[in-house]
Amino acid sequence: MNPFDELGLAITRRHFFGLGRLGIGGAALASLMAETVERDPKTHGLTGLPHFPAKAKRVILLHQSGGPSQLDLFDYKPQLTKRQGTELPDSIRMGQRITGMTSGQSSLPVASSRFQFTQCGQAGTWCSQLLPYTSKVLDEITVIKTVHTEAINHDPAITFFQSGSQQPGRPSMGAWVSYGLGSENENLPAFVVLVSQQHSLNVDQPLFSRLWGPGFLPSSYQGVKFRSGGDPVLFLSDPAGIEKDTRRQMLDAVNKLNQIKREAYGDPEIDARISQYEMAYRMQTSVPELMDLSKEPDSTFEMYGPEVRKRGSYAANCLLARRLAERGVRFIQLYHRGWDQHNDLPRDLALQCRGTDQPTAALIQDLKQRGLLEDTLVVWGGEFGRTVYCQGKLTEANYGRDHHPRNFCMWLAGGGTKRGFTLGETDDFSYNITQDPVHVHDLQATILHCLGIDHKRLTYKFQGRHFRLTDVHGELVKPILA
Amino acid sequence: MHSQRFLFLVAVPGLFAQTPHKVDFARQVHPILSDACFACHGPDDAQRKANLRLDTREGALKVIKPGDAAASRLYQRVSHAKKALRMPPPVSPVTLTDAQVDTLKRWINEGAEWKTHWSYAPPKRPAAPEVKLKNWPKNDIDRFVLARLEKEGLAPSPEAEKATLLRRVSLDLTGLPPDPAELEAFLKDKSPDAYEKVVDRLLASPHYGERMAMPWLDLARYADTHGYHIDSHRVMWPWRDWVIGAYNKNLPFDQFTIWQLAGDLLPDATVEQKLASGFNRNHMINYEGGAIPEEYLAEYVVDRVEATSTTWLAATMGCARCHDHKYDPIKQKEFYQFFAFFNTVDEKGLDGRYGNADPFLPLPSPEQKREQDELKQAIEAREKVLDEKETGRRQEEWERDWQNRIPEPVGGGLLAWYELDGNTSDVSGHFHHARVRRGDLTYSNGPTGRAAEFDGETLVEFAPLDASKPFSLAFQFRSSRKEGQVILGNEGFRVAVDNTIVLPRLKRGQKLAVYYGGRVWRTREVLVNGDTHHVTIARGGDGFKLWVEGKPAELETSEGAVSGRADGPLVTGNRDWPMAWKGRLDDLRIYARQLAPAEAGQVAVHYPMERLAGITAKRTKEQNERLRDYFLLNVIPDPYRQAYTELKQLKAKQEALDNSITTVMVMKEAAKPRETHVLARGDYQQPREKVEPGIPAAWPPLPSGAPRNRLTLARWLVDPEHPLTSRVAVNRYWQMYFGTGLVKTTEDFGSQGEQPSHPELLDWLATEFVRTGWDIKAMQRLLVTSATYRQSSRVTPALHERDPENRLLARGPRFRIQAEMVRDNALAASGLLNGAIGGPSVLPYQPAGIWEEIAYGDVFTSQTYVQDHGDKLYRRGMYTFWKRTAPPATLNTFDAPDREKCTARRPVTNTPLQALALLNDPTFIEASRALAQRVLTGLPKASADAHIRRAFLLATARVPNRQEMQVLRTTLKRQMETYSRDGEGAKKLVAIGESPADSNLDVKKLAAWTNLCSVILNLDETVTKE
Repeated sequence: MNPFDELGLAITRRHFFGLGRLGIGGAALASLMAETVERDPKTHGLTGLPHFPAKAKRVILLHQSGGPSQLDLFDYKPQLTKRQGTELPDSIRMGQRITGMTSGQSSLPVASSRFQFTQCGQAGTWCSQLLPYTSKVLDEITVIKTVHTEAINHDPAITFFQSGSQQPGRPSMGAWVSYGLGSENENLPAFVVLVSQQHSLNVDQPLFSRLWGPGFLPSSYQGVKFRSGGDPVLFLSDPAGIEKDTRRQMLDAVNKLNQIKREAYGDPEIDARISQYEMAYRMQTSVPELMDLSKEPDSTFEMYGPEVRKRGSYAANCLLARRLAERGVRFIQLYHRGWDQHNDLPRDLALQCRGTDQPTAALIQDLKQRGLLEDTLVVWGGEFGRTVYCQGKLTEANYGRDHHPRNFCMWLAGGGTKRGFTLGETDDFSYNITQDPVHVHDLQATILHCLGIDHKRLTYKFQGRHFRLTDVHGELVKPILA
Repeated sequence: MHSQRFLFLVAVPGLFAQTPHKVDFARQVHPILSDACFACHGPDDAQRKANLRLDTREGALKVIKPGDAAASRLYQRVSHAKKALRMPPPVSPVTLTDAQVDTLKRWINEGAEWKTHWSYAPPKRPAAPEVKLKNWPKNDIDRFVLARLEKEGLAPSPEAEKATLLRRVSLDLTGLPPDPAELEAFLKDKSPDAYEKVVDRLLASPHYGERMAMPWLDLARYADTHGYHIDSHRVMWPWRDWVIGAYNKNLPFDQFTIWQLAGDLLPDATVEQKLASGFNRNHMINYEGGAIPEEYLAEYVVDRVEATSTTWLAATMGCARCHDHKYDPIKQKEFYQFFAFFNTVDEKGLDGRYGNADPFLPLPSPEQKREQDELKQAIEAREKVLDEKETGRRQEEWERDWQNRIPEPVGGGLLAWYELDGNTSDVSGHFHHARVRRGDLTYSNGPTGRAAEFDGETLVEFAPLDASKPFSLAFQFRSSRKEGQVILGNEGFRVAVDNTIVLPRLKRGQKLAVYYGGRVWRTREVLVNGDTHHVTIARGGDGFKLWVEGKPAELETSEGAVSGRADGPLVTGNRDWPMAWKGRLDDLRIYARQLAPAEAGQVAVHYPMERLAGITAKRTKEQNERLRDYFLLNVIPDPYRQAYTELKQLKAKQEALDNSITTVMVMKEAAKPRETHVLARGDYQQPREKVEPGIPAAWPPLPSGAPRNRLTLARWLVDPEHPLTSRVAVNRYWQMYFGTGLVKTTEDFGSQGEQPSHPELLDWLATEFVRTGWDIKAMQRLLVTSATYRQSSRVTPALHERDPENRLLARGPRFRIQAEMVRDNALAASGLLNGAIGGPSVLPYQPAGIWEEIAYGDVFTSQTYVQDHGDKLYRRGMYTFWKRTAPPATLNTFDAPDREKCTARRPVTNTPLQALALLNDPTFIEASRALAQRVLTGLPKASADAHIRRAFLLATARVPNRQEMQVLRTTLKRQMETYSRDGEGAKKLVAIGESPADSNLDVKKLAAWTNLCSVILNLDETVTKE
């Protein structure tokens, strides 16, 4: 009879052996009180992970927030021109719920895409004229035309995509990954978030810190948001009036005094404090070095396009994502807003694509030429798709589209996925899936799989349940794996 | 090999005193069965595999032969040689260790004794055990702790040094460190009850309530914004202040419970009791456009169930939302019966656009209350004068012969006139008929007759206008966009509404603007909103004049973006400006002269109304109201007219007053409560069987005959015989002081929760709590005056090795203080702290852009961080404005939750981001400088050593030892050298923060001392309760 059976005493010493290598995210020392699992002393990942050899060492998730229109980008439906303006047949809608924004509309007229589609690359992947740059790298990419989700509005849909649950409270994907795999770089966080700042027109839906939050995991696994203004990491810079060597002197004093305390008091938590101060100091060098683009060749800037020099732009964040990938950051999460084209879609979607197409394609190209694409999984897509029926007034030149959770397009590249491949079919209205559905949980399971994680075995016990990213669902999407 | 090795179940032989005794079912076997088996062989009827259940003795006996493990199928399967046949199966996240399998074997061989899960039976008060070290215990807590230590062969630690103990108990009971005077008094007080006197002083401090409220706010998911998508502001701080006050007044825990869960249902509920019920309105509320109300109504109620059951029952009821609970005896149907208690609130699915969501309670101050009464009387008096019959008769009379009195419409110079009553013809006689150039123009019922509606596509061209010469325009409009947009104009002249501005008093509005010749004339005030307005614009020789509803508007002028030729046709709906007009346009007149002010009024008010009076058959309600308003204000003679004019003024005053009164969201039953159904898969779209309020059968029943409502539920919770409430409460208090509860899983006392480390002590405390009438202060006093609490937290390697988490309590607690206190401690040490209690939350320093980078934009409140100044910068951490989608940055770095959900236990992490915050957040740099000033000016004649000692003492409540002094002295010396060379740097450093640097101090010296104090504020000890 011994309650200590349950308390994980045996891990303690292992904790301290790893102290010099602690980091944030994967390697952060969650307090001794919080953790009862074994961790690798080097990466601070869970012992036993990866479950099997990983194809991808890291993930770059290019989240296009708002819901890009699959009908105007990848899901080519030439038949719709004939049906332009006709009512969406009941046989297609099948009584599915629609949002409060169009449920009051007296008519749901079909709006065909105004944009031209062509087959691109050797694989002949269909792609619209709005993505001239992406169309050139499609041979590196697997397009899934049949991703589907359960939520119909932004907040629950994006929360679902990032955490596997529509309601707040669960850990984000990146938090799960850094909890499981730890970090490969002791001077940078394992999970970094980049939010591109609003450009000219498409100011859009809000984001929430829960999207990169730790949920019920210890808070050290939450994503560290690299900010687009001021210090990239909160309070990274020393204040005005404190030079580098002054800071060093101060840190030496702090550490010495902590060391004295440690010796007198015996609490190993003080060792952790000392090592965290050292890591903070190293970050003061590693982060500015990461952010400094001065050594990038001109070709880089040409490749990513003119916006890349503007800090906080999507292009700059794509380049930063590559630099983070080079440095072994495990999970790199970009957010780009402005894909919510309820009205004026032809104009606004074109603008949106103009701002993102070139840097997105450049990232793929850049990773490839550096040999990083092989073990970096890049994922592009939003939280849902858009309806075939028009929201608001349908005219010859203009239309809008409401949220459509039943099928939408995402693409993946690198990290063990197929090149030049398209999965799934939808009906003539891009309204229902006819072949190869991929649920968000399936996609999450597959992303984890590429990282060498069995999604059913990466669990965390909270409130008595062994929670996982995919809840009790998720099937591996085998056809897209190389 | 690759499986994850969770260690919480593993027996590690040899670590502790091993006495060979019988396997204990509750502590050793039940956790294994629960974690490894119940998911498929547990309480969930729907998911049960092989028709086998192991959560009941009856079920388990199907596969267990007591006394014979080898013959028991349970043992055969968990120990099966073939992996494929071994339980739990490979798909399970759990695997059993050899030790666990062995435990099961021994248990079966020993007879497979079965007991109910510990927390399902009410606590029985045990006698405090006998101990050997008789003079150590100070109260009964210590006898339980010591008995256990003695059994383990351990001895308690000596009492902590006085200073350490004072700091510990001050932080624990008030969240603030002791000040030097308090420290000195305590050190001098040699009386045997010196410590108890301190405890009583702290319990009487108003800061005690604040400290106790901090964890409660986490449980209650208290925040200053609504969360979810928009995340605009709400006002719940009066509820937060009530919590603080309730702790300070020592409201017994049973009342504390009843008021918060059902204060509104108490007979003759007081304002305070209703206010307390805000506990279950702290959940998030959604206002995402397009969201479906029914979906969120369900979520709000689920959140109440989860917060309530976690807080009072440490039950994970949420797990039974979609299916029967996998581990605990809670059926899905029972979840919805519990849900039904909270599904009766008079609320909306989408709400919170302008602050608090329904239902809410106004909280007028006595002054406001008096003013309200006065206004009410004054209004009643005027209404009495305005006898409806008489005024109605007079209005009818006036309407009947309106044609006799209709004034000539303002005529001279009328160039074109579009009534837009269903067509676009020009009725001025000049045949400038307007043309629809793109899209369709539709018509709706406007304030006077029909009105044209533009959908954001339609383009209409009216008569040409040369805006470089005197002219006037008059029209009615209503904007349907929140963004600014052009109503009408031509290349070089445009009339527009600006972007929506969020106003105080929770309203939105827009300004009007006229663009011409590279300049813009904009109304100084926000004059228009989503209603229909009349505007008149007149151009003279010297610019523009503007009237809204016939009243002149003040204009300010600045550079504008529109120039070019201003003599083309007037157009509405040009897409290049940059959006086509979306909204209403009516009664547009164009004059080729400047109208006089009286004419502007005539055009705007009198003529439309007289015209309206002519419509008798099909007036809308709005039209009738406008007409009556016009008649009473302009036509009817005194005393009616005077009474009505005054009445309008009084009502405006009343509205302004009502808007200025603080409100708070509370519980309130709907007149027609919603029905509750079981929701299949937890989905609001799949309602099944209808259910009535009730509680799971595994818990004691509700009293028969009592109404099935929240009040009965609340009273049931605080029944002295309740198995959970008192245990859960005292366990959380224990966690507050010792870092870990006696049950570590503070939020889960169910089958999957951890077993208590000291079960008898937990039950003794629980029964003691009830015995003392749920006296919260008495319970805190009991805990902090125990010898257990008062031990030193020094630890030897051997003891640490043996008990790293200090669950045996052979030493005192030592852990990093919570986020709010990290801040409070630095502010208190520096003397900057503003100790005010309660009131609206504040916005201290925060790096620019944290909200803005992810927020929605200024159409809603709380999207832009507007930092406070002065005193408000130095309030305690708990008063920081809590925006859920972007929680306070530094607090969040130190593990403060986002408050989206109920939190019973914060993690305690240790990260480099915390180091960066303590080193570089201006809050802490300013505190360092203020601490330096405090010691340098407080002891002007003392030595540097004395100053160092003082600064160290203020931060840690002790003086540094010789070795530490040496480090500090050297550091100071180096900093002095640095800044003697770098005067500019010194200036910059001491300028950080909005409190002025003391100009009597030498800047270089102050800078050096600032850094020394920063070192002190960064010490592990400073941010640790020791």
